[in-house]
Amino acid sequence: MENVIEVQHLSKSFGTHEVLKDIDFTVRKGEVVCIIGSSGSGKSTLLRCINLLERPSGGQIIYHNENILDDKHDINLYRTKLGMVFQQFNLFDNHDVLSNCMVGQVKVLKRSREEAGKVAMNYLKVVGMDQFIHAKPRQLSGGQKQRVAIARALSMDPDVMLFDEPTSALDPEMVGEVLAVMKQLAKTGLTMLVVTHEMGFAKEVADRVVFMDKGIIEEEGTPTEIFDHPQKERTKEFLKRV
Amino acid sequence: MKKQKIWSVLLLLMIAVMAVLPWGMTGNAAEVSADSKSDVFRVGMEAGYAPFNWTQMDNSNGGVPISGTNEYAGGYDVEVAKIIATGLGKELEIVKTEWDGLVPALTSGKIDAIIAGMSPTEERKETIDFTDIYYTSQLVIVVNADGPYADAGCLADFSGAQLTAQLNTFHYTVIDQIDGVVKETAMDNFPAMRVALESGMIDGYVTERPEAVSAVSANSKYKMIELSDGFVTNEEDTAIAVGVQKGSGLQEEINTILAGISEDARAKIMDEAIQNQPAEAEEGTANWLVRIVTENWPMFLSGAGATLYISIIGTLIGTVIGLLVGVIRTIPVPQRGARRGLLKVISGILNVYIEVFRGTPMIVQAMVIYYGSALAFNINMNRIAAAIFIVSINTGAYMSEIVRGGIVSIDKGQFEAAHAIGMDHIKTMRHVVLPQVIRNILPATGNEFVINIKDTSVLNVISVTELYFQTKSIAGINFHYFESFFVACVLYFVMTFTVTRILRLLERRLDGPDNYNMAGNQMQVVRPEDLQRSTN
Repeated sequence: MENVIEVQHLSKSFGTHEVLKDIDFTVRKGEVVCIIGSSGSGKSTLLRCINLLERPSGGQIIYHNENILDDKHDINLYRTKLGMVFQQFNLFDNHDVLSNCMVGQVKVLKRSREEAGKVAMNYLKVVGMDQFIHAKPRQLSGGQKQRVAIARALSMDPDVMLFDEPTSALDPEMVGEVLAVMKQLAKTGLTMLVVTHEMGFAKEVADRVVFMDKGIIEEEGTPTEIFDHPQKERTKEFLKRV
Repeated sequence: MKKQKIWSVLLLLMIAVMAVLPWGMTGNAAEVSADSKSDVFRVGMEAGYAPFNWTQMDNSNGGVPISGTNEYAGGYDVEVAKIIATGLGKELEIVKTEWDGLVPALTSGKIDAIIAGMSPTEERKETIDFTDIYYTSQLVIVVNADGPYADAGCLADFSGAQLTAQLNTFHYTVIDQIDGVVKETAMDNFPAMRVALESGMIDGYVTERPEAVSAVSANSKYKMIELSDGFVTNEEDTAIAVGVQKGSGLQEEINTILAGISEDARAKIMDEAIQNQPAEAEEGTANWLVRIVTENWPMFLSGAGATLYISIIGTLIGTVIGLLVGVIRTIPVPQRGARRGLLKVISGILNVYIEVFRGTPMIVQAMVIYYGSALAFNINMNRIAAAIFIVSINTGAYMSEIVRGGIVSIDKGQFEAAHAIGMDHIKTMRHVVLPQVIRNILPATGNEFVINIKDTSVLNVISVTELYFQTKSIAGINFHYFESFFVACVLYFVMTFTVTRILRLLERRLDGPDNYNMAGNQMQVVRPEDLQRSTN
């Protein structure tokens, strides 16, 4: 299995506060990796460094054998290969559902409107929001918005999908519908990197679980290894409290 | 779909407005270039200082059209101007100008001469030249015929009186010669002084004999007091001459022509002027309101038309400027390199622009831009173009900050989501942020629009024939200030109110319905129009 993304010796500080200290991390094609850990451990920061929403302070991020932190690299082109789903959904408020999924394709990927429409409709069907294509974001519930956000990210046909605590802002009823979509996607062989607190999802769907604590990767392994046989003390402590 | 319709409707409305309004402002567009060799002799005067120069509604008694309006000018100065124009072999054009705008208009070449009852004082001679004197008069004081000073005979009698005179004239400075006088603030035109006298705000105003004779014959409530021991003045101060540019060849030519007008001829012209001036009639306020509207509605309408035209276009251009500046100022600063330096320089310039144009009054900006561009760069701006330029630049400065506030208040998540799918700054602005910003700043933009509608009134100082200028002309003819300006007030309110309502409607249309009706759209399909129109 090839490596889609390789993170080497990544560090990130906000002023004097070191959030990420020397992270080494790989994502292989078709893998579903779940990152778990307590607040402040750096999980979201790691994710946001990968698609350069945060600028790393040190280290390298290798994508297709190239260090994308190089000055010469086209950030925008790189970002089209990574789909991001945010905790706060962040749907474009001035576009309806269909347009949300089409605008990136048409304006960034330069696809034709017909093609973009087809792709968008396809993914909206996958997430179950094809009946709402002319709705505006403010007319939708949280779960509906997040599903549209997933469709929007998928419409760009990325290599990797990044999920930053996708269900943390949803109430329990809606969490289910979004997780169901994510499970479905996992089954299709999509490469997914998910930061989450939903241990049930991680146990069920992840190929690999990474536990982060205080800016470093404390422990990683298969779900069985991490959840049933944690090795490190911090891991055990964390799992006890969850 | 809906939004596109709205924008096309708005665009059509704008085009319609722009097509129709210039009809009401023919005069403003027709400006003669600053070419002293041309066949036109442009003369500046107030057209509000009877019997020297006044505004009348038709060309009776030899009235000459006032450039840029549908009115005519008459009076002693107009007659003299006609004689001079004939002598020079040129066509006469009267340019109605505020008293304080006369000298700047002359020095910047917008007029060829000032024939406005202006005295050749030493201070004025520092900036412009004067011909020989074309009329001499003496100073008198006009009072109420039934007031406490009706029987005054000498300066001492006016101790304790509240007197005033026109701003920036020697009439005003001589008031100090009266012991114990109460010198009120100077006023900037004669109709205003007459109204102040009648309403009792002042006890009297200092003026020249012909003007006093005019006032008394127009309104029996006034009385002219000739002073047994009058003010101490220079002959130069009480005489009037034609003002011309320094070093202009006109001075000699005009002197020759003036020499040809005998004393008797001058007296005759003055007597005729006093007789022909527009008279005042007494009627109740309500009647006057109706009369003012019925007699002057074309002027009111063309003034309102100009006001709307200037404010609409000025606000629109100003908004575009604001959007551009807002976008530039929010470009993420590159880490290093030449582009970072360039961005800092541009931001610096834009900041200066905003501070200067927000920090100075638009009325001052108007004077500086309009007259300054003529003096410094020899640019002769068309007045309406100048008006739109001034309003746009001024609005742009305010809109820049409004837009910046609008951009800053957009949730960061919108930016992040756009960046995450590979949009650069420009694309993010164009497709995600700016459309939301525009919707959010509509209330503030509406504010600016309303402010502009009202503030175009300050452009009267550069003789733009907008509503305030027209109203002042109307009041200057009929001397009914309250009624005339009340009509203007109503017109301003109608304009601002209509604009705010329209903008509210626009806001609601842009927002769309609050609830999504699934029943309304049974089959959710991608419609042909989704694929044709630009992503909204």
